[in-house]
Amino acid sequence: METFLTIGFDILSFGSIIVLIVLGLGVIASMMKIFNFAHGEFLLLGGYTAYLFHIWNMPVWLGIVAAPFVVALVGLVLERTIIHRFYAAPIVAMLGTYAIGVIIRESVRGLIGGLYHQVPEPLVGFLLIGDVSISKWRAVVILVTIVVVAGTYYLLQKTSFGLRVRAALENPELARASGISTSQIYAVTFSFGAGLAGLAGAMMVPLFTLYADMGVRFLIQGFLAVMLGGIGSFEGPVLGGAIIGVLTAGLPHLFNPVLADVLVFVIAIIIVKMRPAGLLSMKRN
Amino acid sequence: MSVYKNKIRNNVGLTRRRLLQNSVWMSAAVATGVGSWVLPAKWASAAGPIKVGIATDLTGPIGFAGNANANIAKLVVDDINANGGVLGRPLEIHIEDTASNESVAVGNVRKLVQRERVDVVLGGITSSMRNAIKDVIVGRGRTLYIYPQLYEGRECTPYIFCTGPTPAQQCDELIPWLIQNGGKRFALPSANYVWPHVLNEYARKVVEANGGEVVLEEYYPLDQVEYSATVNKIMNEKIDVVFNTVIPPGVGPFIKQLYEAGFQQRGGRLSCVYYDENTVNLNAAHEWEGLASCLDYFRVLAREDKDPFSAKLAAAYDERFAGDVLFTAGSAATGMYRGLKLWEAAVNEAGNVDRDDVAGALDHAKITQGPGGPAEMVPGKRHCRMNMYIAVAKGGVYEVLSESNMVDPKEC
Repeated sequence: METFLTIGFDILSFGSIIVLIVLGLGVIASMMKIFNFAHGEFLLLGGYTAYLFHIWNMPVWLGIVAAPFVVALVGLVLERTIIHRFYAAPIVAMLGTYAIGVIIRESVRGLIGGLYHQVPEPLVGFLLIGDVSISKWRAVVILVTIVVVAGTYYLLQKTSFGLRVRAALENPELARASGISTSQIYAVTFSFGAGLAGLAGAMMVPLFTLYADMGVRFLIQGFLAVMLGGIGSFEGPVLGGAIIGVLTAGLPHLFNPVLADVLVFVIAIIIVKMRPAGLLSMKRN
Repeated sequence: MSVYKNKIRNNVGLTRRRLLQNSVWMSAAVATGVGSWVLPAKWASAAGPIKVGIATDLTGPIGFAGNANANIAKLVVDDINANGGVLGRPLEIHIEDTASNESVAVGNVRKLVQRERVDVVLGGITSSMRNAIKDVIVGRGRTLYIYPQLYEGRECTPYIFCTGPTPAQQCDELIPWLIQNGGKRFALPSANYVWPHVLNEYARKVVEANGGEVVLEEYYPLDQVEYSATVNKIMNEKIDVVFNTVIPPGVGPFIKQLYEAGFQQRGGRLSCVYYDENTVNLNAAHEWEGLASCLDYFRVLAREDKDPFSAKLAAAYDERFAGDVLFTAGSAATGMYRGLKLWEAAVNEAGNVDRDDVAGALDHAKITQGPGGPAEMVPGKRHCRMNMYIAVAKGGVYEVLSESNMVDPKEC
């Protein structure tokens, strides 16, 4: 029983991490039809912000709170200067954001001396409940993910800002004709997506150490999740993220780890093959 | 002001042809890596300099180790030159970036061997890198190659000399110690590439020969960072000793998850044979408390009362490369020192830089001083005898527990 509880907690916590990572990617992909290949590096910038607070002898939690704002600002500047030129050409947007990602990654690599750095979690250690060991910080990550997903859902589905974002997505011409500044909406949405990535990066860096390539693996898993869940809705990428997270953490309990790593992709590709528009595409149609 | 005007003038002069030329140079630099340096000696001789090629990972994921290698090479070569060079000729150091990328590396190493015609190449850190560049150097390149990193052994190609520790040197003393100070049930969690596979084969034999058993041996993708399934198995199987060969970036999260599952608290013993002072900042002190390692050098030895030579060397390194990557064993830097000094001794004995003559002398070369102690080549084996130390982490630093003198590499 204890074993099942431990495994359940592990899978839930990793699932939450992936959902948190996918959220920003999903918001940008769904609302703006831009595949942001610099998303992994936005995670990295979030982690790097938390690390900077740590080496400046300031509380790490403050860095984690600051990270989404710092990365949102970076996202805003990038959108206004570069990304907005790509909206007409999605393929160019992929290459462009990839290039931005490489520049950010290599700059951070230089700044951290190419080394791996640990960032202490604001809540150190674990709770023993019976024989079940619960990492305090992973528990916090689960809670934050629930709050952030609920908050984002509320923002996009229930507020007038969300309505304008969705209007700008579904019919930009009509939205503009109705007096909505679509370029402003796009800038804010991109910045919001980047901020979510910054938060995810800062939340996960105490678990996974800071290194320049930390975003790369998660970017691939993130895209898989977005494809799996379906582009165009808010729920799709979140569901996709949860499935990828659960498969990634769960399959190594059943299979050899290298095989499990491949199986995650195989299973995801089979699902995408059966439902090319993603799991939640029916709902929208 | 005039400078400003010049700048404007230059900008006006930027023709399309010039722009294209600059772009070509730029893309060539990006494609081949920017780390390509020649550091000539401060003096010259009629016979010209002896060229030493250093091929190491200055950039990419293991750039920190490569930079430590390049740093110590500069320090040693400058020291040799300040003392009159070798055979009355100065050493000229040619550094190429292998960029943690084998395909980039092959081109750059070819430049060292074919264009610069260096007399010896030292470098390569991972085994995959050694395998990628060795034929370029010793096969078609007909040049001597010295490989400095601790590795899985079995590199017996003629003209390749290995100056880092082998599995026998790292396991023969450490594993019986782990059984005594940890227990008999071993787990071997590992990154899925050549070094852990071959090292584990050897480690398993030593574990079994000493009455232990390997309960779990698993391999993970190199970039995996989530280890909850593995940690769960380790806890359920009541493992006593985790002999880890998971590498960064996975090792930090893995050790943290082990700690959070209560492995160390329950009395479990952690061991990792490459975990040196450049990698320890991956984890908080309480997470790697009690971790045991066996290496040819620990920074704690570099004290006047313990090892005066190592203390002097470490002080010289730290002064020149302050704030940079550290001089450590797991990052191949001690092997680089040993390699250069053994090669210097061999060239002095051979009296020339002809490959066969130097290889003949290097086959039995000795140095009386080095990081962690003396070293000597085992004749006919092209591997080094050296001192090995078992150290255990206490409060975030290593404490050396035992020393074994001139341990045999047992290779080839």
